Amino acid sequence: MKIEGTQEVRAPRERVFQALLDPEVLQRCIPGCEKLEQTGDHAYAATLRAGVGSIKGVFTGQIKLEELQPPSHYRIVIDGKGQPGFLKGTGTLDLEEKDGQTMVSYAGDAQIGGTIAGVGQRMIQGAARMMVAQFFAAIEVEANHDPDEEPPKHGFVRTALRVTKRALQGSNAADQSAAEDVEGERKK
Amino acid sequence: MIPAQFDYVTPATLNEALALLAEHQDDAKILAGGHSLIPAMKLRLAMPQMLIDIGRIKDLAYINEEGSQLRIGAMTTHYQIESSARLKDLCPILPQAASTIGDVQVRNKGTIGGSLAHADPAADWPAVMLALQADIVVVGSSGERLIKADDFFVDMLTTALEPGEILREVRINIPTGNFGQAYAKAAQPASGFAVVGVAAHLTRDANGNCESASIGVTGVASKAYRATGVECALVGTTLDDAAIASAASHAADGVDLNGDLYASADYRRHLIQVYVRRAIAAAQQ
Amino acid sequence: MAKYVGEKIKRTEDPRLIQGIGHYVDDIKLPDTLHVAFLRSMYAHAHITGIDTSEALAAPGVVAVYTGKDVADKVGAVPCAGALPDLKVPDYRVLANDHAVFVGQPLAAVVATDKYAARDAIDLIMVDYEELPAVVDVEEAAKEGSPLVYEEYGDNIAYRLTSGEGDIEAALGAADKIIKQRVVHQRLAPIAMEPRGVLARYFPGEQELTVWSSTQIPHLLRTQLAIMIGIPENKLRVITPEVGGGFGSKLNVYAEEALLGWIAMQLNKPVKWIETRRENMQATIHGRGQVGYIEIGCKNDGEITGLRYNVFADMGAYLQLLTPAIPTLTGLMLSGCYKIPAIQMNITACFTNKMATDAYRGAGRPEATYVIERAVDLVAAELGMDVVEVRRRNFPQPDEFPFATKTGLSYDSGNYQGALDKALAMADYTGLRQMQKQARDAGRIVGIGVSTYVEICALGPSQAMPAGGWESATVRIEPTGKVTVLTGISPHGQGEETSFAQIVADEFGIALEDVTVIHGDTAIVQYGIGTFGSRGIAVGGTAVFLAVEKLKEKAKQIAAHMLGADASSVTFKEGKFSKPATRAASVAGGVSDPDVPVSEAPAAALPEPNVEDKQISIQDIALAAHIARELPPGMEPGMSATHFFEPTNFTFPFGTHICVVEIDKETGDIKIVKYVAVDDCGKVINPMIVEGQIHGGIVQAIGQALYEEVVYDEQGQLITGTLMDYALPKAAMIPHLELDRTETPSPVNPMGVKGVGEAGTIGATPAVVGAVVDALSPYGVRHLDMPLRPEKIWQAVNQA
Repeated sequence: MKIEGTQEVRAPRERVFQALLDPEVLQRCIPGCEKLEQTGDHAYAATLRAGVGSIKGVFTGQIKLEELQPPSHYRIVIDGKGQPGFLKGTGTLDLEEKDGQTMVSYAGDAQIGGTIAGVGQRMIQGAARMMVAQFFAAIEVEANHDPDEEPPKHGFVRTALRVTKRALQGSNAADQSAAEDVEGERKK
Repeated sequence: MIPAQFDYVTPATLNEALALLAEHQDDAKILAGGHSLIPAMKLRLAMPQMLIDIGRIKDLAYINEEGSQLRIGAMTTHYQIESSARLKDLCPILPQAASTIGDVQVRNKGTIGGSLAHADPAADWPAVMLALQADIVVVGSSGERLIKADDFFVDMLTTALEPGEILREVRINIPTGNFGQAYAKAAQPASGFAVVGVAAHLTRDANGNCESASIGVTGVASKAYRATGVECALVGTTLDDAAIASAASHAADGVDLNGDLYASADYRRHLIQVYVRRAIAAAQQ
Repeated sequence: MAKYVGEKIKRTEDPRLIQGIGHYVDDIKLPDTLHVAFLRSMYAHAHITGIDTSEALAAPGVVAVYTGKDVADKVGAVPCAGALPDLKVPDYRVLANDHAVFVGQPLAAVVATDKYAARDAIDLIMVDYEELPAVVDVEEAAKEGSPLVYEEYGDNIAYRLTSGEGDIEAALGAADKIIKQRVVHQRLAPIAMEPRGVLARYFPGEQELTVWSSTQIPHLLRTQLAIMIGIPENKLRVITPEVGGGFGSKLNVYAEEALLGWIAMQLNKPVKWIETRRENMQATIHGRGQVGYIEIGCKNDGEITGLRYNVFADMGAYLQLLTPAIPTLTGLMLSGCYKIPAIQMNITACFTNKMATDAYRGAGRPEATYVIERAVDLVAAELGMDVVEVRRRNFPQPDEFPFATKTGLSYDSGNYQGALDKALAMADYTGLRQMQKQARDAGRIVGIGVSTYVEICALGPSQAMPAGGWESATVRIEPTGKVTVLTGISPHGQGEETSFAQIVADEFGIALEDVTVIHGDTAIVQYGIGTFGSRGIAVGGTAVFLAVEKLKEKAKQIAAHMLGADASSVTFKEGKFSKPATRAASVAGGVSDPDVPVSEAPAAALPEPNVEDKQISIQDIALAAHIARELPPGMEPGMSATHFFEPTNFTFPFGTHICVVEIDKETGDIKIVKYVAVDDCGKVINPMIVEGQIHGGIVQAIGQALYEEVVYDEQGQLITGTLMDYALPKAAMIPHLELDRTETPSPVNPMGVKGVGEAGTIGATPAVVGAVVDALSPYGVRHLDMPLRPEKIWQAVNQA
């Protein structure tokens, strides 16, 4: 499965790249990431509770960042498996500066196997896009966040709502503020 | 196709159900027909530890008229909607769309509330709710709130329901004036889900021109959406073929379309226009 | 006087099936049964470098966990009966040892106290996979440099075979036109309503193993399981209770069947496994899976001069029972119902990292029929002739039967013109073509497809079969006069409990209710071959018929003895044996009777005490045979006869199917607006069952033409993994089917029957595709590959 696209992240490029390298940030931003332990140079062991809606599964595996060219490029290699199947993929991220914002171009190829491949072909593409959107929305918040403060919490549902609306309908639907998004964290 | 272990509870009241949901949070799922949830559980793609079956709660399955509104309880089955003579008079798109859902078994057990809360990107009800500009009533521990259909569908399998909330009712303004409505659908032959589903609700003014248009589209993207480009283009026209065709060309404006094994994104882009035209034409009959 | 044969008798099986009170494997509950779940490969191709079962073994309820290493020298390889020169047969074990070759291949089995515990423990087994490149596309598999399913073979070629007769080069050289076309027969999933299921129980004292399995071939399965497990065949009993459909998918010996039997022996407890639909999609055989290249030569007047078909046959990752044989059946039937002077087929059979293909309703013949029928349509299109005209021009005449083909067959009987004419009249073909012209003038897209098919049934003479093609029957009349039939075929939806009873009831002149047909238990029924290849009536039914004849002969001897008559003079009618009419009766009537045998005359001159004494019913004879005091000297007591029927030839049913479609120009949706089928399956025992078989066959053919396709992605992941993605035709998607028959008896068996189980699937697919292609011919379309999804049609219309 090919995933590619361009995502506007409203933050300076250096900050965005920094966020994309920081394991703590990554753990907070990767949807469903429960654990991200460094195992080497830019190499991590990860546990993800990934999915959409009620469809969820736990995956464990490795994440590696390669071809680091700050602040414009890196390659990510993911290899994970779990009860619902396996996911193996590589992707490149290219960051471009544009009017003080950052345009992130991503292109990846993922190989999916097991139950999710066998029964989910109708939704896999959409689910992947949704998780990518959630990820970048969270990165945007992180990149705008004052590092001295408490780290932000990401309400994926709300940030996804905003990002999706922006993507689908252009400017006319950006009706919720970023602050509200952050507060959208599930009430515990 | 053998689910993981789960507890099954049958609360007698909505408050009981809410309390259970509050207690078990993410570990619990509401069972409201189960025609999507149970298959996902059998595949172990969903493994809730508790199923809260709200099917035994009295007074969640109803079709009522209250003032200028129709109120449909969350546990009303597709078949009950399909076979409602009153709805055929008042809001014919509801029974008509219901009749296109799945097969007889699905319609007998599946519910409108379950379908909306699950928010399958190819489900039929979301398009209809969008076209009718329905209000969705959800109830949580802090009380009830109304969510507009436009705000309800967030993304694939994701709605504006907060954790701990249960969808209780759908409210639809009883259409008035010179209106027409229809649901047009291309069904996937295996699943019966919409490859494209278009719900159209139109009103005409005294001169016969299009006064308002509300178009919901499902099946083509990660969630159902309002085709606002089509709506804007229709209003003020005489709804002649040329106007409809021209408006329909905006049906996928700005939408990131899905492709799958059965239908590519390009084919869907084409089909949406066809089905928008057909839904509008049918709505005028 | 036939009272039942030829009548639409309602199936006696149905009341229990409709009420849900029949017994399938899963309905059989034995105390202390353990349940088995399988861990299956997630990868299409991988080395298994390690399996850790310790956590699974420790899980609650788990009794045992087995991996490939545990059973490698305990349970034999899954058998393949294909006997072809230089055939490579992979050593396919019931659990993979260190090499997984397709998604769904069993790697480990968990045995637990219930199916939930077994399934839960599957997730606790840790497998280390080392992924290997997968071979998915059959044509790519044949190429040099392709990744290999089995390194040790050096290529992916299971076998190559050239068949056919006649000088193909000369034949194509003599043609005015040669038309070439690539055709794809996509993989299909058989999808029996009841998935597979096995229950096994070992009796350690008796050292006997009983295996209940949802299979089409209980006896063949017993033989093979005995070899695989290493238990004497006479200590193994296979029982097939109710079987909810097979369509060929249960004409097989599966890894799970052997493993369950072996586990039951290890644990001394009953063990059960019921296949889930996901497993059924992944690890029950698929059908079809051929990509072929047609080359047909013709004269300008439509006469076919020769046909060459080069085909890449997708075997899948290993060979199930008949996997390699299926493409050879395609080769046999390539001549269709036409006189073709030269035919050549070149098979390249390839391994791929997918589930094995094997027999699925039609088994190689739908492919052949599709090839030749599409080819004839292409000839018609090339020459601008009507598709009916080209067909008619190449038919053998009815007096040319038996008709020898260049594929080595002798068609038993046929009247292809008769079925065609009847179908054309029913469909009003001339009117249809006029309608089509008007519709086209009005901008509509309408097409008419015609398929004239012949197929091969009644499999088959043992000389032509891998493991015997005869069939057995035992017929007993019990002391009370009730009749028990034991048949070696193992019906699973074909209705032979009814149709065999019809034959027996008529032959004995008794009531249908007095006949019971027993099948599917190797401890009760004599060895048999099973149900497949449309052989139930023509081979199994003939065995029943001939066993009845043997019994009638014995009964006649007894009757003659009891009536004090010569056996040659005893007549049998409506269940009663009679001594010839007597002089006394004639005298009483006052008329001299010239028919009275001279030898009878003196005795008959005496008054008879009771006229009824001269008749004796078959039931009374059966009782007498069991009491055995009044038998002719030297006669064996009892009333039982067994017949093993060896057919001398196959049978060749045929027919014409006509399909009319209208296509939605905007969406590409196809609507079948008319469907006419005239089938000739020889003599008919039960027209209702025949119609049911035709209905079901046509529905599955429409499924292939329009909806069904097993799809693997480039990595060999099965992405049509459930019925949410794999589109089976549903009742609402099927048009009204207008059916009729012609009746050309077969000379190869005494009842003149041919077989009908697969006819619909074989005859209908080309009619549907032909109709769609005909509809699109104004857009320059001459062929489209199945399944004809709307998007494909839309593209064809819009690219024109």
